[in-house]
Parts: sequence; structure tokens; C-alpha cells
Amino acid sequence: MSVFIRTQDALVPDSFRKPWCRVQIYLPIAELPVNMFTVFGMGGAVGFLSGLFGIGGGFLLTPLLIFSGIPPAVSVATVTTQIVASSASGVLSYWRRKAIDFKLAGMLLASGVVGSALGVWVFDILRGLGQLDLVISLSYVTFLGTIGVLMLVESVRAMSRRRAGGAHHTRLPGKHNWIHGLPLKMRFRQSRLYVSVIPIVFLGSSIGFLGAVLGIGGGFMMVPALIYILRVPTNIVIGTSLLQILVTMAVATFLHAVSTQSVDIVLAMILMVGGVIGAQFGARTGQKLRGDQLRLLLALLVLAVGMRFAVGLIVQPDELYSVAVTSGRLP
Amino acid sequence: MRGLAGALFLAVALLAGAGSAKAENLIAALSSDRVKIESNFTGTEIVVFGEISRDAATVARADPYDLAIIVTGPPQRVTVRRKGRLLGVWVNRDAEDYRKVPGFYAAHLTRSAVDMATRVVLERLQIGLHNINLPIIGKSNVPFSDRDDFRDAFLRLRIQNALFAERVHSIQFLSDNLFRTTIPLPSNVPVGEYKVTTYLLRGGALLAQQEQKLTIAKTGFEQLTFSLAHRYAPIYGAAAVMLALLTGWLAGVVFRRD
Repeated sequence: MSVFIRTQDALVPDSFRKPWCRVQIYLPIAELPVNMFTVFGMGGAVGFLSGLFGIGGGFLLTPLLIFSGIPPAVSVATVTTQIVASSASGVLSYWRRKAIDFKLAGMLLASGVVGSALGVWVFDILRGLGQLDLVISLSYVTFLGTIGVLMLVESVRAMSRRRAGGAHHTRLPGKHNWIHGLPLKMRFRQSRLYVSVIPIVFLGSSIGFLGAVLGIGGGFMMVPALIYILRVPTNIVIGTSLLQILVTMAVATFLHAVSTQSVDIVLAMILMVGGVIGAQFGARTGQKLRGDQLRLLLALLVLAVGMRFAVGLIVQPDELYSVAVTSGRLP
Repeated sequence: MRGLAGALFLAVALLAGAGSAKAENLIAALSSDRVKIESNFTGTEIVVFGEISRDAATVARADPYDLAIIVTGPPQRVTVRRKGRLLGVWVNRDAEDYRKVPGFYAAHLTRSAVDMATRVVLERLQIGLHNINLPIIGKSNVPFSDRDDFRDAFLRLRIQNALFAERVHSIQFLSDNLFRTTIPLPSNVPVGEYKVTTYLLRGGALLAQQEQKLTIAKTGFEQLTFSLAHRYAPIYGAAAVMLALLTGWLAGVVFRRD
């Protein structure tokens, strides 16, 4: 099943035969052994950041796994599973605080499922064409670049405004833009919104699609979109977006398992355990930092990942050839 | 001189009334005919050992014995892609498909393949990395002039992955007749049925050959997971989702702060 054979797995250095680091675990779907502590550490580190910034962290974890030698197909599919776990604990705590708009989440979801089914289908086609790598890289550069720049500008502005001591500019839920002029309006009581379903369906399906193709939850796109485009109150946004991510990613996991058979449950388990533990420490650290500082750091992080992909696309690779096994690996 | 020896050999063989015209006999065996992949699998090695037996009829000749031990893995269909620049970005452009290439190939030789026999013999027996047959699928857009580049790249990448290897002088002789070699199997070795063939050559001619079967299979949990993921994909998918939900829920309970 391994799709892209890379030069000897970077997670398995030559020293793996030394007894002190014999913590190799063989991944049954990726069909290669990895160092359990390395993967656990990755899950933990990304979990820390996700707790810190309130994001899923898929956009960090997928590239980390790809760069460390796990086949891209397995990385993407397995991270969707990991996101289910990390968002589940978040949803639970927001549910207890009643900070979820179920109607809005339901609308986003219904469209998200359609988007993610489409995404898995496209993923399979791209894999067959041998262009999965390219599409993943290009999308990361585009989305991370755009979001990163937007967040950077926004957080720097917020910081300079605060330093200047100017009046804090708040966006009120009642404030309208062109989005609110669209037809097919629907009322969302908990979010105190009366808005067209068109932008909601568009948002839900495109994030579901990207999530399935890129192995990201899309929280870092969903949260700003809900706040700035739909004007959903901030206290409702995170819980609602987490619930949407949870269900979309659960569907994506299932569809990946059925169509590409590249969900590695062993890899997912190690990542999940590392992730949920890291997230707890991250959340605690996050409470000590100010919002605009956090956003600035997150913006830099997002940009850095985007840049890494851009460099990979533009710089001439050392090895121009690649080998993919298209069939012949029977159980 | 050779002709005389050959005639003498033939005469002795006929006199002895032996059914086989060969005076050399080859016996080879594997240290294990089954490799199990478990959760702690990080690669392993198998030992091939054997004996070249000569009967009284064997005529001493100047040429030394040559041994070639070839391990081939299950056949795969493989696509080799080459990146090219398109609008300033490196993209996979040309591709060549190979069908029925071995998923694993290791050749252990007593000396370099070219010294052992002619190319025709080596290609027939698939001895040596440069002599293995990599059949191309009919519809290929790769120009003839580039075919060798693809073939070279394929072999280079497979060698880097430790899936293909050619090791000269890697067969030890414990005595004049007893030989042994250790073939490493890397951690990324594909599962399936393998063939271990031992060829005995002398002066460019094949004297004897022996073939053993080797099975590399996942066992226990790894096998269960893999076959579940492929045969019962919906159940596997649902189980993965349930496991994730359970982990998330547990974490929520354990780290509950309010």
C-alpha cells in the first residue's frame, strides 16, 4: 500500500539497532517501522500548539509526517483520524459550557460531508495521476501563505493599536456586509444570526473538501471565516467550528479507509495519545499569553510551513525521479 | 585440451551410467523459510548455505566455481516518474510503467557478474542488477533515448531503499565445498512469496541450480490490521473513528478542569 517510496525512512536512522533506542514499531498500513518516541513527540508538539492556539494542528502534523518519510497518502488519511480525537475532547468541553450553535454546525456539517466526499474522490484520482504531491504542496503554499499573511497583518495592526492606546475596534454581530444581502435566509438563534445559507454551505463544503485532500481540519480557516464573514459571536465560534471539524473528519476518516485504505490505526493511536497530552499543556500555556501575541506567533508558524512547501516546489530537487508501486502488494 | 576433457567427462559419465550428465551436485538450504513481520520488525537477515558435491567423475579444471545466489521478491507493477520544470515549479512530468518487476532483488556473487558468464547466460538466469529484465508497459510516452535514464533511476532508487542489491565476494567458503552467505532483508521489505535460487557456474556454463521458497508475511496484529483495512474497509474505518472518539472523550474526562 505504500504509495511513494522515499529514500530510507528518515525516522529510522542507521543507529536503530542500538539497544537504547529500540522503540521501533512497525506500522501495518504504512509498511515501515517508525521510532515510537519520535512520532509520539510530534503528536505531543503539535498537540501543544493546537492547545495553545485553539487549532486542530492538522496543517502542521501532515507535513511533519510527510517530511519524515511516511507516505503522503498515509499521512493525510491518518491525520484525519487524529483530528477526530483532538477535536472530540474540545467539543465535549464546549458542549458542557453550552457554547455550540448546533443548527449552524448542522448546516456547515451537511455541506462539509459533501465537500469531504468530493475531496476523497479527488484525492484518489490525483494519487493515480501521480500529482498528489504537487497538489498538496501547491495548496499548502496557497492557503498557508494567504492565511498566514492575513493573520500577520491583523495581529501586527492589533498590537500597534494597543500600543498606541487607541479605542478598541470591535465588530458587532449586528453589523452587515454584502454577505448578509444574499437570499435563502435562515435564523440561527444561539448565534443571534439571520443570514443566507449560501455562504454557510460554501464555507462548509470547501473546508470539508480541503480537509479531505490535505489532511487538515480547517479550523484555522473556519474560525476567521465565521467571525469576519458571518459575524458569529466569538464565544460560539470555536465550539461550533470544532463540532463541524469533528464530524467532517470522522466522515473523511471513514471514506479514506474505504477508498484509499491508507488509514494507519497504529500511527493514529500514537499521534492521538501524544496529541491529547500535548494539548493540555498547550492550553495552560496559552492562558498566559495575550490574544494578539498568540495570533502573531501562529501567523509566523503558518507562514513558515507554507514557505517550507514553497521552497520544495521551486528549488531543484536532488532526485528528479520517484518510484511508486501501483499494484502487487497483496495481504 | 577442453575438448579432450569434455570427451573424457562424457565417457566417464556414460560408463557410470548416471542419469544426469552433471558431475557436480548442488545442495542449498535457507536458515528459515518463513519471515514473520511483527510490531517490532526492523528488518532481518536470512542465511543461505549449501554444499557443492563432486563425485569421482568430476574432472578438475582450471576455472574456479562461481556461485550466484539470487533472491527475488513478489512481482510488482511500478511507475517511475521524472520531475520537470513547469512554470517555475517542479512537477512530475514523464512516467514509465514497468510490469512484473521484482519487489525485492538481491544477488550475492562470488565475483562480478560479467566475469562469470556471457550476457546471454546472465540475462537468462537474471544474475546481476544490470541483467534483470524490467519489462515496460506497451503505451509509454518516454522517448527511446530516455529509457535507460528511467531504468537507471529505478535501480538507483531501489538500491537506496535497500530493496535491490548486488554484493560481490559476499559468499564465504567454509571449506572447498561448503558455502554460506547472509542476505539482509530491510525493514521495508514487501510481503509475499520469494524465490531463492542458487546457481553453480563454471567457465561460463551453468552446472547446477537449486531453488527454495521463502515466505515473508505479517503475523498477528499486523496481519489482522492489514487484512481488516483491505477486506473489511468499512468496519476498519468505523473502528478508527470510534477509537478516535473514545480517545478524545477519555482525554476530556481525564483532563477535565471544570
